[in-house]
Amino acid sequence: MNFKLEDRFSKIAIVFAFTVLAIGGMFGLLQLLTRTPYSPIQLSPDQYYLSLTAHGVLLAIVWTAFFIMGLAVFVISRELNINLNKYLLQGSLILSIVGVIMTTAAILSGTSNVLYTFYPPMNASALFYLGLTILILGTWIFAATIFLAFIRWKKATKSAIPIATFGVLTTLIIWLEATPGVAIEVIKDLIPMSLFNTPVDVLEARTYFWYFGHPLVYFWLLPAITLWYFFIPRLLNTKLYSERLPKVAFILFILFSTPVGIHHQFVDPGIANQYKFLQSVLTYLVTIPSFLTAFTLLATMEKSYRERGGKSLFGWIKELPWRDSVFAGIAFSMILFAFGGIGGIINASYTLNALVHNTTWIVGHFHLTVATAVTLTFMVSSYVLIPAIFNKAIIFKKLTVLQPYLWFIGMTIFSTAFHIAGLYGMPRRTADILYGGLAPSIWIELAQIAAIGGVILWVSGVIFIFNSGTSILKGAHVAMDAGSLFEKVNEKETILDRISVWVILAIIIIILAYVFPFLQIYSRGLSPAPPLPP
Amino acid sequence: MTDKFEISFIAVVIAILSFFVYALLQGTTIGYQPPSACSVYPAVNTFKSGVVEIQPGVYEVRIVAARYYFDPSTIILKNPKKVIFEILSKDVLHGFEIVGTNVNVMVLPYYQATFTWDVPSELKGNFMIICNEYCGNGHPNMYAELIIER
Ligand code: HEM
Ligand SMILES: [Cu+2]
Ligand SMILES: [Cu+2]
Repeated sequence: MNFKLEDRFSKIAIVFAFTVLAIGGMFGLLQLLTRTPYSPIQLSPDQYYLSLTAHGVLLAIVWTAFFIMGLAVFVISRELNINLNKYLLQGSLILSIVGVIMTTAAILSGTSNVLYTFYPPMNASALFYLGLTILILGTWIFAATIFLAFIRWKKATKSAIPIATFGVLTTLIIWLEATPGVAIEVIKDLIPMSLFNTPVDVLEARTYFWYFGHPLVYFWLLPAITLWYFFIPRLLNTKLYSERLPKVAFILFILFSTPVGIHHQFVDPGIANQYKFLQSVLTYLVTIPSFLTAFTLLATMEKSYRERGGKSLFGWIKELPWRDSVFAGIAFSMILFAFGGIGGIINASYTLNALVHNTTWIVGHFHLTVATAVTLTFMVSSYVLIPAIFNKAIIFKKLTVLQPYLWFIGMTIFSTAFHIAGLYGMPRRTADILYGGLAPSIWIELAQIAAIGGVILWVSGVIFIFNSGTSILKGAHVAMDAGSLFEKVNEKETILDRISVWVILAIIIIILAYVFPFLQIYSRGLSPAPPLPP
Repeated sequence: MTDKFEISFIAVVIAILSFFVYALLQGTTIGYQPPSACSVYPAVNTFKSGVVEIQPGVYEVRIVAARYYFDPSTIILKNPKKVIFEILSKDVLHGFEIVGTNVNVMVLPYYQATFTWDVPSELKGNFMIICNEYCGNGHPNMYAELIIER
């Protein structure tokens, strides 16, 4: 079988993702230095919010989505050994790229400094929202392409779903569960607002946005978890501790990742306490699959040590291949994700949330999750994917080992400082933390520490872009049979593989969690506010 | 799932989460409640700001949030026990955070937020009030001051 077409898709998507990562990271550095009092680089407020919008949109949405699409095509085609529909695949890629270019052009033109959450009634140019709409359309066609191929495979083989494919499908299901929320917001409210100045109800729009915004984080995270399940046993020459528990974890993500968005609205007036409380508890449930993932992976690591005759209780930790860049990157991702998860439980707590809402604690939190657990995993996985998909050898092998270590050190410093500053009330999304001299001196000290971490982090990013860019362009040719990365399994399907059952259950839970808040919002009567420029 | 380690791990996870939910329930009974009450307020220009002591130690504080100021910009409270805040945004989304306390609420345009703050009895001095949601270029200049005298 020939995968030329699929591999070309993956190559374009991944190169596009790397380019976006480089641009977005640059904005991250500028922002960080601007927020640091007395640093030599200071953006003006409108430059700052342009930068912050670009950083958020390009990294949180574009970098992740494009890398994930490239990865998904690679996994599905090789693990299931099937081809995808050529026209759908190309159409989805063209639409997605056109959408991103439109939105990015709107941001860079300076007319759309609305951040990646684009809360109305702040109004961006119509190009911004139209670009997003086209991007979402592109991703829907992409998801359809994958599902059509999967259904064909399933009919032909009737076997159990292999684990990486299971992860990819879960990712796409969550994307399809989530995106209707933002699509409704953009098409019903925001495009009319930007074209015809139609007033928008902010509470309604925010609820649709966060209906999308939370499951979005699982859309990022699940491919990373899939890569963990994929690489850890291969790097340690063993099998996963259990094949079943990972599937249970994926299913729990399908069930509980969406009906929790209101945990971003705990301090929004207009949503009753009991609905906030319900979604707080539902958020706790969605930590269960993360716990299960941690268990399976750690148990796999220990198992491989015992299989090699290891006896000591904690000796397996020392024996792990810490000099392997892929292993080290994944291990650091898991460690920082653990802290991200603990912090997440605090964010999701009905009462504690008030202490951290909109402070730099939150910024510290999601730089552990999306900017490390996800981004660092994607980075180190690229050291395998570049040979496998591009057939190019990595040029600077030593740099691949240095890079995840630097990211880990930089992020630990940056994120710890931002977490602590958040507890002292330092707000996020502000270009200047001095507040006319009222700011406590601890804010300034912590901002300076964060800047040191952020610079280290950024250097690691530069090394990554440099190394993977030169390798893709100039690396020695390697003939690698990527299919050999995957093993052929031929097990009988079980109830865990009946994905449609779980999707139906998920829809029921989503309806139960959201019908009452929406009833409350609509029965009170809306209070739309007229749009204003940023 | 017959593996005994898996089973016991799941049991531990469920125990931890049950404890957390129990703690949440406890938390809801000791005073703090998220600021959830609101009323639609489309006639934003009729809203009057100001501070009134309605009973000894009980204040009603009505605040306008707008680009890029809070009105009143200095709030002085003498021996406050309870403060009932009523806040309205006249333009875009803002935040209202009193730094160093658990007062943190989104201020939605055309919605009036109403919530009560039980002021800890030891709290006194000057506190920063900041807008903690991006509201435009002047967002970093949107702050006010709360002074508690005892
Ligand atoms: C190169 C390293 C990076 C640095 C130095 C950096 C720095 C920052 C800083 C300082 C902020 C807060 C700005 C503020 O709230 O005023 C921020 C926000 C953010 N960052 Fe990063 N970041 C980096 C990488 C990343 C990556 C890799 C991702 C995601 C994949 C990411 C996602 C975000 C998001 C979603 C926001 C929130 C934007 C908003 O509040 O609208 N960052 N970043
Ligand atoms: Cu969330
Ligand atoms: Cu503001």
